[in-house]
Amino acid sequence: MDEKTRNALLKLFQGALNKAMRFYLETCTRCGVCVEACHVYASMGQVKNIAAYRHELVRRIYKKYFKARGKIWPSVGEAIELNETTLNELYDAAYSCTGCRRCMVYCPFGIDTQMIMSIAKLLLIGVNMEPEILTLLADTSIEKGKSLDLYKEGFLTGIRNLETDVLKKWQSEAGTAAIPVDVEDADLLYVALAGAHSIIPAAAVFNAANENWTLSFFEAVNFGAFVGDPTRTRLILDRIVNEAKRLRVKEVCVCECGTAFRVMKHMTVSQPFKVSSITEVHARYISEGRIHLDKSKAQGLITYHDPCQLARNGGVIDEPRYILKHLTDNFIEMTKDPMMNWCCGGGGGLVALGEETLDFRMKSSRVKADQIRNTGAAALVTACENCHTQLSNLNEHYKLGINVRFLSSMVADALIKDDTGDKKGN
Amino acid sequence: MQILYYIILIPMVYFSFIVFVLGTIIRLLKIFREPPPPGKMRIYPEKRPAWLWAVYDTFLFPTVLRHKPVFWFFLILFHTGFILLLIGHLELIREFAVFQIIPHEPFIGQGFIGLILSICLLYFLFRRFSSPVRELSVPEDYYLLILLFLTVIFGSEMDWARRWYGYDTISVDSYRSYLFSLLSLRPELPYEITSSGHSFMLVIHIFFGNLFLMLFPFSQAMHSFLSLPMNKLKRG
Repeated sequence: MDEKTRNALLKLFQGALNKAMRFYLETCTRCGVCVEACHVYASMGQVKNIAAYRHELVRRIYKKYFKARGKIWPSVGEAIELNETTLNELYDAAYSCTGCRRCMVYCPFGIDTQMIMSIAKLLLIGVNMEPEILTLLADTSIEKGKSLDLYKEGFLTGIRNLETDVLKKWQSEAGTAAIPVDVEDADLLYVALAGAHSIIPAAAVFNAANENWTLSFFEAVNFGAFVGDPTRTRLILDRIVNEAKRLRVKEVCVCECGTAFRVMKHMTVSQPFKVSSITEVHARYISEGRIHLDKSKAQGLITYHDPCQLARNGGVIDEPRYILKHLTDNFIEMTKDPMMNWCCGGGGGLVALGEETLDFRMKSSRVKADQIRNTGAAALVTACENCHTQLSNLNEHYKLGINVRFLSSMVADALIKDDTGDKKGN
Repeated sequence: MQILYYIILIPMVYFSFIVFVLGTIIRLLKIFREPPPPGKMRIYPEKRPAWLWAVYDTFLFPTVLRHKPVFWFFLILFHTGFILLLIGHLELIREFAVFQIIPHEPFIGQGFIGLILSICLLYFLFRRFSSPVRELSVPEDYYLLILLFLTVIFGSEMDWARRWYGYDTISVDSYRSYLFSLLSLRPELPYEITSSGHSFMLVIHIFFGNLFLMLFPFSQAMHSFLSLPMNKLKRG
């Protein structure tokens, strides 16, 4: 690696050194408490997949270039040079970490491996070594934000085509759009994924709850966060923030996408709207009596997978259980403590990389498959697109014979009118 | 030899304290002056008040208790013992009424605190020789533990000699006279400090202690100051 490239990368590194990052890079005692935290290590048993080993790679570069000790006596901390070999190791570390932050629950200091891995991803972007498809997807999202008029007509046509399916699930009052779009002063802006499965059930539930809502032009998923590029993450996020401000909505409701929810919730501070996940909104509708659910729709033993970005990293833990209590009397927890639930193994952009990562995703998630199998459940419910894809892959690979379902879609399927037959459910 | 004793017991002590204090302050200022992270770093479920839970995490290591109970046992013993030893050293400067709630002669624990600390340090050291902690460890982890062990074992040896074997040539008053002279910037070396049979033990103890102090601000020992703000960050 030439000096110019190295200096440019070190500048990127320096730019990522905020207070939290300094804490994390300065403090690790390599005590080994995090050893069993990572599902990849638990499934594959390779030391390189231990959380502390992953972030030590970044720390060694930090010691070499940002600490006097690394210059005077590099061997004492095993400080290493930033070169092609190091970058390859960083790639392996960064793109085998799903950013589930389970290790953070183990670490006595609360070191966030996902955040340290963001430096690794940043360096990889600096030399164009990041997965190209993620950058392309991120750039497409950004471009859509810049040239909305080009996409608008096609989007609206697509939405109109979905309305019949929404009405099949819940008959709205005559004269109201089954999927309202671009409604100013709506109470709630729903940010979906690019796919009918993310829009139809959600629309049916909003209509059943008589919500004053509108659908966002943009898809929720933030590929910038997957690729680890803070600039792209912010640009993708800002499209939705600007739309919410333009429409003067009171609440932004993020669909079943853990990363989108976490980025939206934790990176938008002091905005004139609140951020909720669709799971929280559905739980609220049930508790307020705005929707009613039919328990007979869900058959057999049901278990729930807590998406890491939604539960451990987003705080949505009680709400899905509250919803499930109204969907079934036959529920079994996957783990005693949801905070300690195993990651599905598909986060951090791994699912978005598709077939390329499939073999690794299956091998590295053996513990998750075992956990699911041990519940003996007939249906596995989750509230995250990434998790749903990964769990479906696991179901097939490990022959679990379980029905993998979205929580929101179960809610939509179980909608009933209340005893008075009021369509609004009030 | 007397010159070497003098260098270690006086100029090196001052120097190491200056490095420790200034180094720690500069390092902390550098870290705390960095901009905050772009988003919230907390994990859930949320527990309030966050600061109290952060204190709990910092001082009782609940995550270690949950996942590595044996390691937790030694960690608690070590950190408690370390605090008691620090109190013991303060009592070697002068008597503090607050520490005499339970009347005792310096050091508290009748020599057993040093013994416990030595055992803990050996445990910390030897667990690093077994996989997978071995693969995670870097040389500085071993050096720091060895340095601490040497400091503790030579310091404890003097305590053990005085308490368990009646070797009282270097008395508490001798230590107080030496340490108070250092603190009042009028350093002097009482005869028994440099010329008794155990003087070399004291000199070696102080030599390693000096090295540890100088290394402290530049090592992961800084977790003593950073653990609380980090746990606060985690708790939100």
